[in-house]
Amino acid sequence: MKLIFEKSIPGRDAYSLPADLFQDIQIEDCLHEKHLDKDKKQLTEVSEVDVIRHFTKLSKFNYGVDDGLYPLGSCTMKYNPRINEKMAALNQFVYAHPLSSPEMIQGSLEIIYQLNLLLSEITAMNQYTMAPASGAHGELTGNLIMRQYFIDHGEKRTKMLIPDSAHGTNPASAAMAGFEVIEIKSNENGTVDLNSLKNAMDEQTVGLMLTNPNTVGLYDEGIEDIEKIVHQKGGLLYYDGANLNASMGIIRPGDAGFDVVHLNLHKTFSTPHGGGGPGAGVIGVKDRLIPYLPTPIVDFDSTGNKYFLKDIGKKSIGMVRSFWGNFSVLVKTYTWILSLGPEYLYQCSKTSIINANYVLAKLKKYYKPAYDQYCGHECTLTGREYKKYGIKTLQIAKRLMDYGYHPPTIYFPHFEPYAEETIMIEPPESEGKEVLDNFIEVMIKISQEAKDNPDLLKSAPHNTPISQTDDVMAVKRPILTYDDELKLRNELNYQEKDIDYY
Amino acid sequence: MSNKIIEELYYSKNDEWIKVENDIGTIGITDYAQDQLGDIVYVEEIKKGINLNKGDVVSTVESVKAVSDVYSPISGEVVEVNQDIIEDPSIINKDPFGQGWFAKIKMDKPEELDELMSASEYSEYRKE
Amino acid sequence: MRYIPSTKEQQREMLEEIGVSSFEELLKNIPEKVKLKRKLNIPPALSEQELEEKIVKIARKNSNFYEMKPLLGAGAYRHFIPEAQKSLLQREEFWTCYTPYQPELSQGTLQSMFEFQSYISRLTKMDIVIPSIFDGASSAGEAALMSLRLTHKNKIIVSSLIHPHYRETIKTYLAPHDIEIIELPYHDGLIQFDQLEQLLDEGTAAVLIQSPNFFGGIENLAAISELTHQKKALLIDIIVESMSMGILKSPGDLDVDIVAGSAQSFGMDLNFGGPYNAFLATKKKYVRQIPGRIAGETKDKDGKRAFVMTFRAREQDIRREKATSNMCTNHNLNVIAADIYLSLMGTEGIYQYSLLNAKKAHYLEKQLLKTGKFEKVFNYPYFNEFLIKYNGDIKNINKVLMENNFIPPLTISSLYPDNNLKQTLLFAITEILSRDEMNLITNLFSQQRRKI
Repeated sequence: MKLIFEKSIPGRDAYSLPADLFQDIQIEDCLHEKHLDKDKKQLTEVSEVDVIRHFTKLSKFNYGVDDGLYPLGSCTMKYNPRINEKMAALNQFVYAHPLSSPEMIQGSLEIIYQLNLLLSEITAMNQYTMAPASGAHGELTGNLIMRQYFIDHGEKRTKMLIPDSAHGTNPASAAMAGFEVIEIKSNENGTVDLNSLKNAMDEQTVGLMLTNPNTVGLYDEGIEDIEKIVHQKGGLLYYDGANLNASMGIIRPGDAGFDVVHLNLHKTFSTPHGGGGPGAGVIGVKDRLIPYLPTPIVDFDSTGNKYFLKDIGKKSIGMVRSFWGNFSVLVKTYTWILSLGPEYLYQCSKTSIINANYVLAKLKKYYKPAYDQYCGHECTLTGREYKKYGIKTLQIAKRLMDYGYHPPTIYFPHFEPYAEETIMIEPPESEGKEVLDNFIEVMIKISQEAKDNPDLLKSAPHNTPISQTDDVMAVKRPILTYDDELKLRNELNYQEKDIDYY
Repeated sequence: MSNKIIEELYYSKNDEWIKVENDIGTIGITDYAQDQLGDIVYVEEIKKGINLNKGDVVSTVESVKAVSDVYSPISGEVVEVNQDIIEDPSIINKDPFGQGWFAKIKMDKPEELDELMSASEYSEYRKE
Repeated sequence: MRYIPSTKEQQREMLEEIGVSSFEELLKNIPEKVKLKRKLNIPPALSEQELEEKIVKIARKNSNFYEMKPLLGAGAYRHFIPEAQKSLLQREEFWTCYTPYQPELSQGTLQSMFEFQSYISRLTKMDIVIPSIFDGASSAGEAALMSLRLTHKNKIIVSSLIHPHYRETIKTYLAPHDIEIIELPYHDGLIQFDQLEQLLDEGTAAVLIQSPNFFGGIENLAAISELTHQKKALLIDIIVESMSMGILKSPGDLDVDIVAGSAQSFGMDLNFGGPYNAFLATKKKYVRQIPGRIAGETKDKDGKRAFVMTFRAREQDIRREKATSNMCTNHNLNVIAADIYLSLMGTEGIYQYSLLNAKKAHYLEKQLLKTGKFEKVFNYPYFNEFLIKYNGDIKNINKVLMENNFIPPLTISSLYPDNNLKQTLLFAITEILSRDEMNLITNLFSQQRRKI
């Protein structure tokens, strides 16, 4: 499909101007020419009709949750309720300037304050900061909070323990916070090896970052021992909340001894993924870590009966972004929690756990699970046995697209001894049984195709807008803007198989 | 899966090989390593003249889906560096034991070779 | 419940297939002591109608912001966003999908990223654009970290006229890395150039300058650039009001090394502070040290042009603790929002609107000065934001402005404590204000009595 740049026709426009263009003022009287660009920046010239058609067509090249099952393990691709969007789009919220005086923004402040109370109860933590904009951003914030805690207590701790099963953002965030990452191996059951943890945990170690259930979908049966080992050496326990969908109303990280928690509002709490955000990675802490939270938080003054932005104080780690948080995402989360209440939050977790175990039970004889145990809200199968037919797990994933599905997460997690060639399937509670049955049927069909007709998988996908991409060339000969492409015009020789309406 | 080996070379657990000629060791990565990485698109500049300890990172190779550090299997001074692989990393994929060499090191502790694997040992180690 | 399709009967069937007699058997790995044994203490589920009524009531506790035009910016600017953009963003395929890991199902997202990268490249005249970091502040933080990776030096000079939140964020990002952060003082509303000369040395990794700066002033980037490069340091330009790029000289023409730019002005509503979006633009030679995701062009196996995420080997899922940044999810939907906005505005629209911003701001300043109630604080060139000292009762005038549906300008001391800036206001004027409105504002100010 053509780029918007390729649809540009000089003289076309899609903007409107008021009649009063302030012709009585010369720009040269406002700014010296040395500040001004002598040329206009060359963007595009298209009509509003062109823009509508371009982006409408572009959208049809995407696949969203509204199109069907999106079983991406670790991403919790659940339904994004429309009422959430409507509430976030209320004018009083949308047009609120973040630096308005407090009496103008009591509504916005109330949402943040109430959301803090709800999330604190759901996770058994004491105070949330809404500043972090994503899970990884939250992990960085949480790491910085832990770092500040130890500096304030005069302790020099430089290491962070992270399981080999952890999401890549965990070690990356710890490194950004200046810590040395010590990897803790998983045991035969796919959970944290307690001996390795005990040996690694010392007074120079900040603590452990843990996802529970972990990235292969297993609850860690050693959670009580883990808590003791870390806390006994004065360490802190960090909870990666990406998998909270397996825990609501069942187990709360605060009750399990976690000191710092991050939640992915765009996963568990149904706010949309947006093609990669915006979401939010709010951080909850126990009382003793509140002094180190990023500043400010929202508090309530009972005498004046009003909400206000409160400075955390001198021990705060500072700020991790401008202003207060991804507010529209917070409104959607608040709306969703109130739509479900305690009973249905529990049902979300219960249903997603049943869904994942159902898929596991039905598919395990076709795709050997990494760990053959009951799982949480996601199950990890593997494509290992198909190697002997010359089939890689990637090819199974690509073949799924021909049947109209977005593939599950593949090759993550990846750790010894069994999490290899992984296919991680997370069917959230918004997927009904018949959707799962269809998916299971297709996965079984593909497993047979892998044996009988492997070429179908190797050349997949066939029914998508584009076929397999040359990722090597993308790196070897980078084209990162339209101008890069123009420079290579003679070399590049595209086949115009794309049907365009022009 | 590709796992060609050359008899007279020594091999490390991290899939590096070393060819010894008098006191000069030429190092590179094995056929297994290049196969695992896939098309190599970038090789980090290797510094000539530096002194390496066994286990130090000599370079980093990058493919589309992976990044791997290349460790020196022996200690010594880097006396020569292969510029060709920096310019065209695909040489490593095509000829990992020959044209795809990384650096020549003047060994100062030849006894370190005893800690490495022979061709048959490495072949056994990397058997699928 | 309407978001949970499976019925009790279906769940019973599934449990049977799994081979357990009760759901609780699936939770046997969770120690009893840790399990929650009561219902969550949160309000019971509201019906959709009750929910809407409740939240609308809360929203009404805010001022009627839609009707109120802001006279302040300070990092969040209200610009006019054409309805076509809002309508297109409603398409579910843009917002219910995930990160474009599978390019075959994500060309919409990937092409939009590529288009945005191309637009920003033309606006900034920089080679490479990372389309999404959460906001200008975190982008500035990432830019500072990038300069450390590129230079291996440990000193950073930070302009005191960078937005206070941005400066805080930069400090927070740098805190774990044992970096000396030197604040560059200002004089007459711009950074103090002779101080920069004194502070810069061969140990400096980067100089961070915001232009237009927090007071709205346009810094002399050409001179700063020359000086910075003489000492082999990198120049990082922070752009908070992207609309300024419509008429101002591009950072690429001034040999800037990294641009950390907030794209909020390109199609994102104020939303009480977020989510916005920021880009990071830089030179080709720095590509291996960039943080975050970038889209690139390639071909598919049939020769069709296709877009993919590229240079992935630097990212956290592959490099883990050695990644250039921990970034995973970013603010992608706002990339699409900006792509659509820039397509609607186009070459002429951005230029004309940018001109209007500058002209209107200068018009208002002139009118305000004519009243005799104002004094110019400094004498620096500015785009659409300026400082001005007012001799009347600020509390009073703010009340009057609000009654007339204007969000008052920023009283500078509330965000930028400085003894020399008492009674000083920071105005930001965008295209949304009309001449009549600005005349009204001027009258409202001039009608106020002088402060005793």
